Amino acid sequence: MRCAMPDTHFYRYDAYDRTLVSERVEQFRDQVRRRLAGELTEEQFKPLRLHNGLYLQLHAYMLRIAIPYGTLSSRQLRKLADISRRFDRGYGHFTTRQNLQLNWIRLEDAPDALAALAEVDMHAMQTSGNCIRNVTADHYAGAAIDEIEDPRIWAEIVRQWSTLHPEFTFLPRKFKIAITGSPNDRAAVRVHDIGLRLWRNAQGEVGFEVIVGGGLGRTPMIGKTLREFLPRDELLAYLESTLRVYNRYGRRDNLYKARIKILVHEVGVEKIRDEVEAEYAATRDGALRLPAGAIEAIARQFAPPDLQPRAATSGLVEARRLTDPDFALWLKSNVAPHRVPGYAIVTASLKPAGSPPGDASATQMEGIADIAEAYSQAELRVSHEQNLILPHVAVEDLPQVYRSLEVLGFAEANVGKITDIIACPGLDYCALANARSIPVAQRISNHFASLARQHEIGDLKVKISGCINACGHHHVGHIGILGVDKNGVELYQISLGGDVDFGRTAIGTILGPAVTADKVVEAVDAVVRTYLAARAEGERFVDTYRRIGAQPFKENVYGSL
Amino acid sequence: MALYSEAGLPASYVALPFAEWKTRPEWPAVSLANTDPVEDLAPHLARLRLIVLEFPKFSDGRAYSQARLLRGRMGYRGELRATGAVLQDQVAFMLRCGFDSFESDQKGFGEALARARTLFSVVYQPAEDDQVPAALRRLGHRNPAAS
Amino acid sequence: MAKNLSGDLQVASANRLVDGTVVWLDEAGQWTDRLQLAAVARDKREAEILLERARVEAFTVVDPFLVAVTEDGDGTIEPLSLREKIRASGLTFEAIAADAVRYA
Repeated sequence: MRCAMPDTHFYRYDAYDRTLVSERVEQFRDQVRRRLAGELTEEQFKPLRLHNGLYLQLHAYMLRIAIPYGTLSSRQLRKLADISRRFDRGYGHFTTRQNLQLNWIRLEDAPDALAALAEVDMHAMQTSGNCIRNVTADHYAGAAIDEIEDPRIWAEIVRQWSTLHPEFTFLPRKFKIAITGSPNDRAAVRVHDIGLRLWRNAQGEVGFEVIVGGGLGRTPMIGKTLREFLPRDELLAYLESTLRVYNRYGRRDNLYKARIKILVHEVGVEKIRDEVEAEYAATRDGALRLPAGAIEAIARQFAPPDLQPRAATSGLVEARRLTDPDFALWLKSNVAPHRVPGYAIVTASLKPAGSPPGDASATQMEGIADIAEAYSQAELRVSHEQNLILPHVAVEDLPQVYRSLEVLGFAEANVGKITDIIACPGLDYCALANARSIPVAQRISNHFASLARQHEIGDLKVKISGCINACGHHHVGHIGILGVDKNGVELYQISLGGDVDFGRTAIGTILGPAVTADKVVEAVDAVVRTYLAARAEGERFVDTYRRIGAQPFKENVYGSL
Repeated sequence: MALYSEAGLPASYVALPFAEWKTRPEWPAVSLANTDPVEDLAPHLARLRLIVLEFPKFSDGRAYSQARLLRGRMGYRGELRATGAVLQDQVAFMLRCGFDSFESDQKGFGEALARARTLFSVVYQPAEDDQVPAALRRLGHRNPAAS
Repeated sequence: MAKNLSGDLQVASANRLVDGTVVWLDEAGQWTDRLQLAAVARDKREAEILLERARVEAFTVVDPFLVAVTEDGDGTIEPLSLREKIRASGLTFEAIAADAVRYA
């Protein structure tokens, strides 16, 4: 039977949550039985399995497991490793929406896999389909030095409200929500259907900026402000109003024009705002206004761990920094400051040179779960950049954590650097893809493997998508690469200057004609050389690009090919 | 198409299509397309015994919003019927949105309808049924049917 | 040499319902996971018949469809498109093994 979950510093399921998940598993078990018995057609069954996270890819079913706001415990991660061994091929892929994908699931095993997930309070509800998807949040939440309020409190409140919502299960299209609690937006809120940004107004009150209609894909758009300041406890009424307007008026005639961003674009944000505010005026004082006790009950569970401030530096760390150049680089790129003095946020890079970005074996998952248990309050995060985070590491433990991560192959000092590539699964896995992305990522990663060179180049985000659906977020890569198919040949379109930083969110501009797979590395290398030759002191790639424009890059890329 | 009703005997009025009904708004039964504005029914709700809403495809969820507006905001208390692509795997959602009768030709629909309210004993959000969301039950609010 | 200039050579493929495995329809109208056992349609008419047979047998698979292939001198079947090649032969890189601590 299920043992008690150890205390976590994030939401802990109670009997209500557990009942709902297990009732859902039983419902799906029966749906699978009826499908296999021929009582349901594929057309009738497909949305049901999508709503339980089960996609049919090229080779097999893929199960997309929800990791709400990218937060999980060591115990949960060990269970994911176990499930990957028992039901899959012993590895998984962490995604750009903070979920985990297993690629070789059998439909007949899916109910048992979901039952196993339920044992550790996990599920795959609504990770696919035209419904409200996993709510993502800042992967540094609760630890970040610049945080105004932990966004995960609200991500959990939204998660519950949106789960099995009877009105919004058959929307025109998928609906993605992201929340940031910090002015430095690490959740990419401006490229989501709804982005929520917690901020403090002049009166000292904390509320949400509500941003609507962002998204990547065929028609990338940056979200527009729907509401400048929304009191926190009115969030659900406002979201319900927005979703109702979308459900009623979103386009249903064309799959590629069905996202809310298209509705906002076609009708205008002012008109959408009028509709939402009218709907909201009628709902705000109703059943969706959570009593303070209900909010408090959830907020309490995100109370940070009781970390005693320690010395900000450690003799061990400093000594090691001087003698071990790789460790020194790792401290610079993979370790971020923590709100409590003497602690740090460590990013475990799931991008070792030449490896499929964001993948981890069952053994690696178990290994990092152990490290988190010993050194990070048994808690981990998944970033939308396909890395894992250890959010609460004592500075004096950094050498040991580095050593332990090194054993797992997760200690490459490349976070934010050119080999910290974000790539979708691409044509190797995905039925929607036009071209492969993982082999391209591997080649780029191998070419720039030298840590010294990567740090010389500095912060440079490469993002690769195998098709226009942009699951690799190529539009907002400093260097974006989009795989296309021309007459059966894989070609890659390069764009420059994309960005997801909050105040400077930008869609990249296409550099020139698409290049063949064997030329991608040369092209990226030419881009890098152009940057290094032109950059001002301390200037990042994306800033040099903005200053000098595309022309110098274009000349060097196409001149050299 | 078989007709199933939770509300007891389903209304036997012929529902007029919306455009036609607007010329005879005293008629107590109307059927709406899922693009018709439910708000237009507001002045006549007290007279209406039957409103029929349509699911042209089961994946087209507009009628869920129409139903909730009629039951919730507008306070409609007559029979609310779902027609079109009405399938047992969506009936729990339809019940929560306030539908109480269903036209379906799916085999086994009647049995599924009878079971539908037992599928989920916990809900996370308020809707047009009387289930209390978990957030409030945690504070001691009770489901009306519970002991 | 392998030829399918007019796109006439087709096999029928699908994913098995129960486990998602890529399968092809063989001469006996059974679904096999071995491409080399696939029934090959040699012209448009045969292709229509093949697809029809695939649809009749669709109870155990999801969404059967036709795949253009080449067939070389000794009868080896090879899909024309990269996507179908990948469907037939798997990932084009080595996936990380279950007990690996470092990528191969």
